[in-house]
Amino acid sequence: MSDQHVPNDGRLIRLYDHFKREWQIYVLLLPMVIWFTVFLYKPMYGLQIAFKDYSIFKGIAASPWIGFEHFQTLFGSDQFMRALRNTFMISMLSLCFGFPMPIILALMFNEVTNQVFKRTAQTIVYLPHFISTVIIAGIVITAFSPTAGVVNSVLGWFGFEPIYFLIKPEWFRPIFIGSGIWQEAGFSSIVFLAAIAGVNPSLYESAVVDGASRWQMMWKITLPSILPTIIIMLIIRIGNLLEVGFELIIVLYQPATYETADVINTYIYRQGVQGAQYDMAAAAGLFNAVIAFVLVMTANTISKRYSRTSLW
Amino acid sequence: MSGVDLSSIVKKYGAFQVVHGIDLTVAEKEFVVLVGPSGCGKSTTLRMIAGLEEITAGDLTIDGRRMNRIAPKDRDVAMVFQNYALYPHLNVADNMAFGLRIRKMPKAEIKTTIDDVAGILGLTDYLDRRPADLSGGQRQRVAMGRAIVRHPKVFLFDEPLSNLDAKLRTQMRAEIKRLHKRLGVTSIYVTHDQVEAMTLADRIVVMNDGRIEQIGTPMELFNNPANTFVAGFLGSPPMNQVRGVLTSEGAKIGDTEIKIDGVTAADVGRPVTVGIRPEHVALKASKGTSALPIDLDLVEPLGSEALLHARFGENEMVFKAETHGDIAHLSGVTDIHVDASLVKLFDGETGQALNLGG
Repeated sequence: MSDQHVPNDGRLIRLYDHFKREWQIYVLLLPMVIWFTVFLYKPMYGLQIAFKDYSIFKGIAASPWIGFEHFQTLFGSDQFMRALRNTFMISMLSLCFGFPMPIILALMFNEVTNQVFKRTAQTIVYLPHFISTVIIAGIVITAFSPTAGVVNSVLGWFGFEPIYFLIKPEWFRPIFIGSGIWQEAGFSSIVFLAAIAGVNPSLYESAVVDGASRWQMMWKITLPSILPTIIIMLIIRIGNLLEVGFELIIVLYQPATYETADVINTYIYRQGVQGAQYDMAAAAGLFNAVIAFVLVMTANTISKRYSRTSLW
Repeated sequence: MSGVDLSSIVKKYGAFQVVHGIDLTVAEKEFVVLVGPSGCGKSTTLRMIAGLEEITAGDLTIDGRRMNRIAPKDRDVAMVFQNYALYPHLNVADNMAFGLRIRKMPKAEIKTTIDDVAGILGLTDYLDRRPADLSGGQRQRVAMGRAIVRHPKVFLFDEPLSNLDAKLRTQMRAEIKRLHKRLGVTSIYVTHDQVEAMTLADRIVVMNDGRIEQIGTPMELFNNPANTFVAGFLGSPPMNQVRGVLTSEGAKIGDTEIKIDGVTAADVGRPVTVGIRPEHVALKASKGTSALPIDLDLVEPLGSEALLHARFGENEMVFKAETHGDIAHLSGVTDIHVDASLVKLFDGETGQALNLGG
C-alpha cells in the first residue's frame, strides 16, 4: 500500500511546489478562465432549452422535455432552410473571395520597398477595421444610394440607369462580401505580414544567389513559408464559417432581400428576440455550433494529415 | 582562371565604414579563409563578393571580369549560409534542385546532377526527406549539395559549421577539406573559429576592424604573426603577451631577462611586447632557454597534455605541458623555461612584429 502511495504523494508535492513556484503565471491565466466560465461555459447550461418546451415562467429546469421537436420544426421550416442555404452561400463566397485578400495584400505590402508609401497604404487599409459596423452600413447605404450614391453616379457617367442595389436580392451578397473585404482585409493582413516577417532572410539571399526573381521568390519562398499560418487561419475561418457577421446583415437587409440575405443568425434573432421563441432559437443556435464544431474538427484533421500543420 | 580579386574594397553603411579598402587575391582552386572576431567585416566582405551587399568603392573581379554591378546570379558563385538556408517546405532533392530549376536546366539533367552530388555527400537515402527530418550535419551537407550542383566558379562559405556541435564540426571540417580537394573549386570561407581557419585554409586572411591584419599560410601566420592581434588570435590557447623592454642581452620582462640575439645598441630600452606561445616552453631547463618564475594557479588536464594557468607578475599566462599520463608532477611547477629562439617580439607601441637584426 505504502509503495503505491509514495508516487502519488510525490506527484501532489511536485504539483504543490509547481503552483507555489509559478503562481504568477496562473494569476495571469485567471481572467481568461473567468471569462470562459462566465460567458461561454455557464450559458451552456441554458442550451438544454433546445430540447424543452421552454417557458420563462417555469424556468429552465422545470420546463418539460420534448426531445428533438424543435429541430424537426426547424428543418420543416422554409424560412430556416432558406437561412441555412444563405448562410452557406455567403460563408462560402466570403471564404473564396475574402480569405485570399489579406494574403494577397500582405504579399503586396511585402514587395513595396518605399517605406513611406508602405506605411501610408497600410494605415489606409487598416482604418476601416476600426469603424463601427453601423457606420460601415451607413457608408454602404450612402455609396449605393440610387440618388446620391457614388456607385450610381459613376454608372451614370457611362450612361447606365440608377440601380436600387440594396433592394435587389441578387446584389446583396456581392455588396455584403465586398464591404466585408473592404473592412477587414487590411487588418487581417497583419497576421500574414507578421508571418512573412518571420521568414528566414537567408532563404531569400540564397534564392538571389541562385538567380530567383522577386516573383519567383514570392511564389516559391514567401507563400510556402507562410503556408502553416494560412492553414491555421483557414481552420479558424472554417470553424467560424456559419458565424456570418450578422450585425451588418441586420442593418443592411430588408424583407425584399431576405431571399438572399437572411442567415441563421438573423433568423435566430427574429425568432428568439423578436418572436420570443427562445427554445426554437436555442435549437437553431445549437445546430449552428455543432456544424461549426464538425467543420473545425474536419479541417484540422485534414490539415494535420496533409500539411503537418494543425491547431492542436 | 576562376580567381577572385578584391582591390581597395570599401563598404560603408551611411557614414559608418565597416570595410576599409581591403586588397586580396584568391588564386584559382585556392581555399582562402577569412577569419576574425565578430564585427571585423569578414561576412560583409563575403557578401560583397556574392553580390548580396553593394560595394561602396573598389573593384571586385571574378575570373578576370569586373563584378561590382553584376547581379548575384550572374557572378557564377554559390554560397553556403550559416543557418543552412534550406527551404523548409521542400525535400532534400527539391532543395538541391532549386537553383537548377530557376536556371531552367532540363529535368533529366537535374536528376543526374542531384544523384551524383547526393552520392558524393552521402545523401542518397535522404533525398525525399524534408530539412526538419534531418540532423544538423545532414542539413549542412544539403546546403553544400545545393551549392555544388550548380558547378559554380567560386564557393562562398559563411560560417557554415557554427551551428553544429563540436564533434560534428570536426567531422564536417574534414568533409569540406576532402570535398575541396576532390572538386578543386576556388573557395572563400568565413569563420571566427581559428581552428577551422588553421585546418582548412591554403591561406588565411586575418581581419580586424574592417582591415586585413595579415595574409599567409596557416603556419606562416602561426610562426610569424605580423602583429599582436594576429598573435593573439591564432593558436589555442593564444600566444601569451607580456610587456617588457629590450636590453643588450635580450628582453626584460619583470625581473626576468630572456636572452635574445640581435638586439642593437639603438634598440636597448625600447618598449616591446614579448610573445610566448603556450607550447614553446618546457618544464626543465636546457640550452637556449630562460627561466620564468611563475605562481601556478590551475592545471587543466586535456589527456596527453595539460594547460597550466599561471601568474607571472601582473600577467595571467597559459602554458602547455605534457602529462605523460599523470598530472601530479605538474602541481609543483615554479619555473617555466622559455625557448628563447621561439619568442616573438612586437613593438610596444604599434604592436607590429619586430625583426631584430633583420
